[in-house]
Amino acid sequence: MRTPLFIAAAGLVVLAAGSPLTAHHSFAAEFDGTNPVTITGTVTKMEWTNPHAWLHVDVTGSDGNVVSWMVEGGAPNALLRRGWNRDSVAPGTAVIVRGFRARDGSNRASGGDLTLPDGTKLFIASSGAGAPPGGRDAEAKK
Amino acid sequence: MRNRRFMLVALAALVTAAALVAAAGQEQNAPANTAEPAQDWTPPRTPDGQPDLQGTWTNYTSTPFEVLDESDTPAFYSGDLDGTGKGTGPSSFSNDVSDRELTKMTSLVVDPSNGRVPIMPWAEERRNYKLEHVQDDWVNHTPWERCITRGVPGGLFPAGYGSGYQIMQSPGYVAIIYEMIHEARIIPLDGRPHIGSSIRLWNGDSRGHWEGNTLVVDITGYNDKGSVATNVATQRVRSIPQSEALHVVERFTRIDENTIDYEVVVDDPEVFTSPWTVAMPLHLEPDYRLFEYACHEGNHAVPNTLSAGRARDQAAQAAGPQ
Repeated sequence: MRTPLFIAAAGLVVLAAGSPLTAHHSFAAEFDGTNPVTITGTVTKMEWTNPHAWLHVDVTGSDGNVVSWMVEGGAPNALLRRGWNRDSVAPGTAVIVRGFRARDGSNRASGGDLTLPDGTKLFIASSGAGAPPGGRDAEAKK
Repeated sequence: MRNRRFMLVALAALVTAAALVAAAGQEQNAPANTAEPAQDWTPPRTPDGQPDLQGTWTNYTSTPFEVLDESDTPAFYSGDLDGTGKGTGPSSFSNDVSDRELTKMTSLVVDPSNGRVPIMPWAEERRNYKLEHVQDDWVNHTPWERCITRGVPGGLFPAGYGSGYQIMQSPGYVAIIYEMIHEARIIPLDGRPHIGSSIRLWNGDSRGHWEGNTLVVDITGYNDKGSVATNVATQRVRSIPQSEALHVVERFTRIDENTIDYEVVVDDPEVFTSPWTVAMPLHLEPDYRLFEYACHEGNHAVPNTLSAGRARDQAAQAAGPQ
């Protein structure tokens, strides 16, 4: 029963951490903080747009079908200040992104931490969309 | 020598202000940055003689907008209706302030002295309705979420990102370029009257003049569609409506090379029981670059929030009557 324990622990961390403030919109009206998702795939495009950057990731299922996901990130200037640059997630990069799914069930998520092939972690989330920290761990760049 | 007399008046005002600040030193909300203005510092002048406010400024801060009260529901103000988003709190602008000098203010609201905006109950009810029905209709989204404006003065309230402001001056004008939603305010200084009351604007009608080294901007002519604050960081005040009676007075005073003291008095007798004041520093950041903010380009929030509402409705319908 490791999963429920982990979720409970994560919930405590979330409560303890306070939370972010700076969203352009309400996180919870659009995304489901109880519905985490891990997206493992290949970057097809990073849109450096305001008020949110959008990372596009193709995920190949076990049946060989490719499903395209859109991951909402922070504003470009917020990501820049965290150490991102335009080469951080070039098309073709294999990534693992943790986030929370859209409430309408589409293949869209609010991103959390992102792991690159060499193990480097970046934090893509909206600089505080009211989102749970969602895997914002000590290894992720601030 | 009108200018000299002006300077003397300004100096007297500064001395008085310094005395008042010193007297207010015990108050919890005294703006930290006004505590010790550099006595021997003279603001530079533009070629036409205005105090020079030009440059790129930012307002990153860790100071909460208001002093929190036990009755507050921060999660609700952030739009977190069922608690799954874990709400919000005053503590975490952390990504963007870790390398900055922070004030010791307990809130950006400095008047009333309890650090709380005196919102009338009807306005809180209106806000509550809008926040509760944000998934039902686009009109319930703030003007910011709709990429219209963050408002005046809301556009200067810290949002935690996209917080660059470029101030430029030319004879007779001060222009402020806001990074967020690429808004530009062109403030005439020539003493022209406000526009007529038949014209109503989201951001009102700004008229500026100098009082010593302080740029004073008087704003009226608002519509009643906007909101005095739109960002989650403004907590309880987010999505509080503005009325056509809104009157705002801003004061920009450069107190040293790297700091502008920004103070704004918000008076809307239809929405607030008394005027209230926000005070905070703007920091000179010459290396900060405003990123283009073509707001609709990456803003999927309104359609996605509405589609989340439709998914919610369908799920409720499928579940049948309770």
